Amino acid sequence: MIAVLGLVVGVVAGLVVRPVVPMAFEPYLPIAVVAALDAVFGGLRAMLDGIFDDKVFVVSFLSNVVVAALIVFLGDKLGVGAQLSTGVVVVLGIRIFSNAAAIRRHVFRA
Amino acid sequence: MSDERRPRQELPPERPESTQGPADEAASGDQGAARLTGRQRLAKAVWPPRVTRAQLIVALLLFVLGLGLAIQVRSTSENSALRGARQEDLVRILDELDDRTKRLEDEKRKLTGQRTELENSSDQAEEARKQTRQKAAQLGVLAGTVAAEGPGIRMTINDRAGTTDSDTLLDAVQELRAAGAEAMQVNGVRVVASTYFTDSGGGVSVDGHKIDPPYRFEVIGKPADLEPALNIPGGVVQTLKNKQATVGVTRSEKVTVDALRQAKRPDYARSSSQ
Repeated sequence: MIAVLGLVVGVVAGLVVRPVVPMAFEPYLPIAVVAALDAVFGGLRAMLDGIFDDKVFVVSFLSNVVVAALIVFLGDKLGVGAQLSTGVVVVLGIRIFSNAAAIRRHVFRA
Repeated sequence: MSDERRPRQELPPERPESTQGPADEAASGDQGAARLTGRQRLAKAVWPPRVTRAQLIVALLLFVLGLGLAIQVRSTSENSALRGARQEDLVRILDELDDRTKRLEDEKRKLTGQRTELENSSDQAEEARKQTRQKAAQLGVLAGTVAAEGPGIRMTINDRAGTTDSDTLLDAVQELRAAGAEAMQVNGVRVVASTYFTDSGGGVSVDGHKIDPPYRFEVIGKPADLEPALNIPGGVVQTLKNKQATVGVTRSEKVTVDALRQAKRPDYARSSSQ
């Protein structure tokens, strides 16, 4: 419950406060958000599986974000930033779908 | 990648407690129990709210996620294309904008030139109209279609004996014209190029209008030229005096010739300048 509240508060804060993201981090924000979403879905699935562990969640969340941003950064340096970020988004999207499928099986029994 | 696999590997020891059965048990029973447990667990996690370390940490991370999500969504929807665009795309867009600006500048210059041209030509048209109006006024004075005023003389021929005939008046008019008279009228009849004088029983007709003595001339021209022209020896005044008519000539700084004459449209002659 607190976690859901945290998400809601975050969205509201982002919309109301309108923080300015430094230019240097701007290209990495969308990828980081997608990576974080993947981690959240993974955590939800783990919770439904009964194997949720907060330490694992924190580590996976942070490492997901950092690795995704790192890949895009590297891609930008190599001149294939657009392609690499597309790749990252595709991979994370597939994982989100598989996690969502598992969650669906738990919640809807189908 | 490791967020869900690692816990699975780590957690088997705990699993029996929570799911009340080994992980690799036969399909239906285990799955049924897990599903039920999963839902229950979800419900339990959501309600009632509990402040635990796990919940707080997850809340913090989800807060960060929500923040990033909101920022990204807002910045994407705000200035849509440019904010998320990559450097090479931005360079391309900038190039296109430069091209477009150049094209528009060219177009603007062309249109400005056209506008200047049109303004000039309308100025010229206005100037031409002005000149035409002036010319029309000048010609109107000559043709007798507009009133005229200016310096000139007034001449009165008082003829009790009735000896003044059309020839004498015509002589007077010719003399005045020769002296530079620009507009004249006699007894309220405008005298123009086509004016004719005829004798008609004890009087004179001017352009078909019968006029009676005394004959009053109003003439616009240079007074210093007109008056001597009438008074020269053997001239109009002397001739009239010989016929027992009295002639009075007065100079005036302001003579008004306000008798008008209809401009007659010529039947055959057409302007050749059109």
